[in-house]
Amino acid sequence: MFAYSLNLATLICINAVLAITLNFIIGYAGIFSVAHAIFFGVGAYTAANVALYVNGSMFVAVPIAMAAAAALSLALALPALRVRGEYFIAASLGLQVIGVTVFSEWKSATGGIGGLIGIPPANLFGRDIVDPVEFLVLAATCLALTVLVIGVLVRSSFGRNLKAIRDSESAALAAGKNVALIKTLSVVLSSSLAAVAGALYAFYLSFINVESFTLDTSVLLTAMVIIGGTGTRLGPLVGAALLMLLPGLLSYLWFLPPTEIGSIQQIIYGAAMVLLMIFRPGGIVGSRAGAR
Amino acid sequence: MTDATQAAGDVLLAIRALSKSFGGLKAVDAVSLDLRAGIITTLVGPNGAGKTTLFNMITGHIAPDAGDILWRGQSIAGEAPWRIARRGIARSFQDLRLFAHMTVEENVLTVMEPASWLWQPGGGAARRARRARTAAILQATGLADKAGVRAIDLAYAERKFLSLARIMASDARIWLLDEPASGLDRRSYDLFFGLLRREVANGVTVCIIEHNLDIVIGISDRIAFLDRGRLLADGNPRDVLADPHLAAIYFGERAA
Repeated sequence: MFAYSLNLATLICINAVLAITLNFIIGYAGIFSVAHAIFFGVGAYTAANVALYVNGSMFVAVPIAMAAAAALSLALALPALRVRGEYFIAASLGLQVIGVTVFSEWKSATGGIGGLIGIPPANLFGRDIVDPVEFLVLAATCLALTVLVIGVLVRSSFGRNLKAIRDSESAALAAGKNVALIKTLSVVLSSSLAAVAGALYAFYLSFINVESFTLDTSVLLTAMVIIGGTGTRLGPLVGAALLMLLPGLLSYLWFLPPTEIGSIQQIIYGAAMVLLMIFRPGGIVGSRAGAR
Repeated sequence: MTDATQAAGDVLLAIRALSKSFGGLKAVDAVSLDLRAGIITTLVGPNGAGKTTLFNMITGHIAPDAGDILWRGQSIAGEAPWRIARRGIARSFQDLRLFAHMTVEENVLTVMEPASWLWQPGGGAARRARRARTAAILQATGLADKAGVRAIDLAYAERKFLSLARIMASDARIWLLDEPASGLDRRSYDLFFGLLRREVANGVTVCIIEHNLDIVIGISDRIAFLDRGRLLADGNPRDVLADPHLAAIYFGERAA
């Protein structure tokens, strides 16, 4: 039971990092992306390859993973952010689909469908983090840092730039804001921080494959943000915890047939989203009026 | 571009044979107009005359089909809106377009933060100066006790004043105001134009779109009359409004 809880807590931390960084662009910049799992994946594969073939230190693998995700996000953001919001959703969906194909076909880098196995443990200051408790501390620290960094950004002039663009792009332009640059920067930041979650994930499981980085993951992350509360500080944390705990909680309900839990989960997500949109458009943490 | 202050009456912004069509409709048809420094020029004309489209072309929100816009002698037609804004051309919108979910203070503060990167130049001293200036602007526009309120929660008149406060924060040389006074009661209206007059006295140049002819006469130094995309008259307010032909167009007595 303890091992189970530790595992769950670690996965909640990793997913919370993803949800918070996704909320940064959806909630504050008004940029709707359904490709967040790809940046998670790029972070995971990059960190795994670096650890396998170059150096196992977190201080080497994580920055390289972040740089790789940032570079890829730039390729998405530069063309896509010059046009209106709807196009970005379409472009990110395209990236998500292409990304999954690359993850499952580029065998030398990703191991194909079978994935990468035997990823060495995370190494901090020459010490391997193998103990699950220690890893949870590491993941929680990364989560805390992400909360801190995003929190500071949101309250800074950059955060105001983002919110101004979200509320009225034309007024932001009329105020002299370089909208395309600000949006691009926010996507790059969000994606590179998502890569930190990817690196943690790869080190934690020591095995990764494409299953973890599909559209389903992107949709689940979006659900965490929306259910928790778009554009709120605590919302994505609450959303991540809730959606990660849900499968476990459902298994306690003895009357549900165990084989159907997966589909029941999907029904609950869908119903929760619809009910939230009607009764609490701001999410669980957001105000009733849909505050951001 | 020099920063030498121009004498009142110099042409700050020159519009040259500017045209824009939407489908078959000529929204703005070869309009030429000078906006002179230090005065209030008012654009009047019936709905659909092309006044807002003219604003949109000046600020780069719409690219003109033909013609040119000269800012202190330099062509700015077709430039990106944010570049034009940074040259010192600020505007308001008829539908205000406030940053609805940001506080009143943030709405003003963000206009003073031009850098797109993660920090603003100037460090702590500049940051304190921006805060102080924001407080002063909110004081002047009567919004001081609303600083922490979200724009979306403001009353109508307060929104109008926030729209003006945002422009005051921009440090722009010229203000393009799209129906800034519509819907204001007498007291708010007096406060609004008192503020505007003071800013003009301090060297700001203003161009207003306004429908209410009482307001137009009261505040304009110069009037440009547009109808169906064309500039019909441009000059002294009393002369322009005394023209029975224009009055007929304005009050819709034209045989259409």
